[in-house]
Amino acid sequence: MTAQYIFNGFVSGMILALPAVALTLIYGILKFPNFASGAMLTVGAYLALIFNVYLGMPLLWAAIIGSLIFALIAVGIDQAVFRQLRERTAITLLVCSMGVSFVLENIARFIFGNGARSYDLAIARPKHFFGLRINNEQIITAATAVAAMIVVYFILRHTALGRAMRAVADNPSLAAVRGVRRESIVRWTWAITGTLTAVAGVLAGMDRAIDPLLGWNYIVSTFAAAILGGLGNPVGAVIGALTVGVVEETSTLFIPPNYRQVVSFLAIALLLILRPQGLLGAAKIKK
Amino acid sequence: MVSYLVTILSLVAIISILGLALNLQWGLCGMVNFGIAGFFALGAYTAALVDLAGAGTLVATVAAAAVCGIACALVALVSLRLSDEYLAILTLGFGEVVRLVVLNEEWLTHGSLGLPGIPRPFWGLIPEEQYEYWFLGMLGGVILLLFLALEKLLRSPFGRAIRAVREDDVVAATLGKDVVKLRVKVFALGGVIIGIAGAFHSFYMTYIDPSQFSAILTAYVFMAVIAGGRASNSGLLLGSVGLMAVIEGTRFLKDIFNIFDATQLSAIRLILIGLGLILLLIFRPQGCFAEYRLKIKKPEKEPRKASVQTETRTT
Amino acid sequence: MTAREIVLKTKDVAAGYGGGDIISNISIDVEEGQIFTVIGPNGSGKSTFIKVLAGLLHTRVGGISIKDEQITPLAAPERVAKGLAYVPQEYNVFPNLTINENLRVSTEFLKRDRCATGEQRERVLNMFPEIATRLTLRAGHLSGGQRQMLAFACAMMAAPVVLLLDEPSAGLSPKFVAEIFDRIKAVNRTGLTVVMIEQNVKEALRIADTVMVLVNGATRLSVPASEIGSTHDLHKLFLG
Repeated sequence: MTAQYIFNGFVSGMILALPAVALTLIYGILKFPNFASGAMLTVGAYLALIFNVYLGMPLLWAAIIGSLIFALIAVGIDQAVFRQLRERTAITLLVCSMGVSFVLENIARFIFGNGARSYDLAIARPKHFFGLRINNEQIITAATAVAAMIVVYFILRHTALGRAMRAVADNPSLAAVRGVRRESIVRWTWAITGTLTAVAGVLAGMDRAIDPLLGWNYIVSTFAAAILGGLGNPVGAVIGALTVGVVEETSTLFIPPNYRQVVSFLAIALLLILRPQGLLGAAKIKK
Repeated sequence: MVSYLVTILSLVAIISILGLALNLQWGLCGMVNFGIAGFFALGAYTAALVDLAGAGTLVATVAAAAVCGIACALVALVSLRLSDEYLAILTLGFGEVVRLVVLNEEWLTHGSLGLPGIPRPFWGLIPEEQYEYWFLGMLGGVILLLFLALEKLLRSPFGRAIRAVREDDVVAATLGKDVVKLRVKVFALGGVIIGIAGAFHSFYMTYIDPSQFSAILTAYVFMAVIAGGRASNSGLLLGSVGLMAVIEGTRFLKDIFNIFDATQLSAIRLILIGLGLILLLIFRPQGCFAEYRLKIKKPEKEPRKASVQTETRTT
Repeated sequence: MTAREIVLKTKDVAAGYGGGDIISNISIDVEEGQIFTVIGPNGSGKSTFIKVLAGLLHTRVGGISIKDEQITPLAAPERVAKGLAYVPQEYNVFPNLTINENLRVSTEFLKRDRCATGEQRERVLNMFPEIATRLTLRAGHLSGGQRQMLAFACAMMAAPVVLLLDEPSAGLSPKFVAEIFDRIKAVNRTGLTVVMIEQNVKEALRIADTVMVLVNGATRLSVPASEIGSTHDLHKLFLG
């Protein structure tokens, strides 16, 4: 029984890992926590909904096309909004990201209304392994999230783009002297962020109903995951997300499931009191 | 029409009180509070519950102020030595926690049904048909008192210390200012003001439910503060009046665009609020009104250059 | 000294921040294979000068050329492409990248012709054996002296004509200082021209070929290093 909760927590942690990693990438390069993360996830879910339900594509293709379009939208938002604020303080940027969040969420509300929607997806019977009940959506979620994490890890570790992203995060002025063009790295980072967040939106939309507050339900948990991993550390964010997922899910054994976000909030508070650099924060070298 | 205006002005007054609090926390001290809606709800529910228990409106107001002050102090304490981003995240989380508790603890808050019949201050002493005017007057008095108190505070040694911390907390610390204590105090003081706003909201509405405290309220208050010019209390009052005029103005959109339903109209309003926030931050980070005067002096002089200068002068 | 080719030349350079000029009328001729050292009291404009050479600060008046090619309007990365490699003071490596990644990122975003070849990489690694053995270590775990070596190595990856060093001994413990200067000399012996600014006059003079003394943004003296000790009183020069 407990094993089932831990397994479910693991899977929801995987959904969480995508926006948490996206958050740390943006934090690394632009040094502000992106409060629009939740609304971006919502819009990603709706984009796939358009292709899946209204244009009748299989969800896989709808998700791929939707995430690519949203990658472009994310770059567009950066160019239109955040680029104008590059030299401002982190606080200005995060207040602005709140504004972006309202705009995105309400564009979705304007078009689709407040009603809950869901993807057109065949329902398969859950499978049983070692006493665990595993449904089809969970398998898809786990496979997609793991694949996305591997791709991001590969980009960061083994490509010139990844080296440049980490170099800009470490020391932007030195990177500039080495010929790394910050603006182009920022654009790529938004593209990756947009893709990851939109994919997370689709996975979240498979897990629960799609409504304009879909992403908002993840925002506190996403921040909890990112802070747990030490803001700005992608690998830490993944571990943080899995931890948050499992803790939230198992907490429903003791407290009402409505209070999941409260658990995340308490986790953030406790962590900031006890170990503000994050569980893995020491792995990041400041100087 | 007059009673409509009184209603609007009362709402403006409550937003303005919240704005004064945010101006203290964020404008002066750089401490972002994304949980305003949550703290406001906490104040409103505290006041309503105390008031409904028969303790009287004064006790209820004091209780709301105290509870919100303590809550803000605790949140500030948790992010004690961390940068302001963490405080922002914590306040956002706290706001969510309050929302969830209010929704789910039905024995206390009646969940989404809300709390009706909240007693009002001086009810029965004033003729009923004049009550709204008196209430607006009372709100005006509260704003005036808070305004004068905050202006006085700014000119006190405490206020100078706050500004020193905002400019550079490391330098302030080397001058012997206890930065951490100061920040917690300021944030708590902001909480007290939010609590007062919450109490008056309860008294004004006489009925509260969770839908009155959505995150959009936080956006309104931020808009009012940014539009008025951060750290300027007089600008803030102008800012919230202007903001309300815009928001209420969009209500009349309904008559023009009758193809949209209520959800779509409210979505449009919220999109406009979000866009307004973004545009203000990009083009008018020092507020509308400071710039407005300048414009009158020199009417048509290189508008583009002016906006470039604006950007270099930012926070 | 025999007349050798002039590889780096500035003519009447003036630059500064905001209103006034911090340095003015600076002309230097750096011969190939030299160590050209700029010394001077605090606030004399040394850092401004090297930033102008590196292309981080705009040249207001005058010109800079490398091997007779004008580079005055070029930004820092383009100057690297022209053969001017720059090692900033202190924060000069990416601490969360491994040594190997630091080396790679230092040239892979430059124009194609400066992108380090395998051969160049071998040469650099041979010159700095202490980093060559730990390629997968994160640069942030290196000591101050080793970081400085890595920073040199990164600059060398672009096979530069001139190496610009901004106070190579800054922030290092005294026991490393002599070692760093020995290494600079060793790098120089491979034929590389070095231009550096330095606070540590005694150590800097030990390896310098030509010394320029900068006081109040103007050249006070520019002579072979051997003459400094015997014929010029540094104290007098510094204090004006």
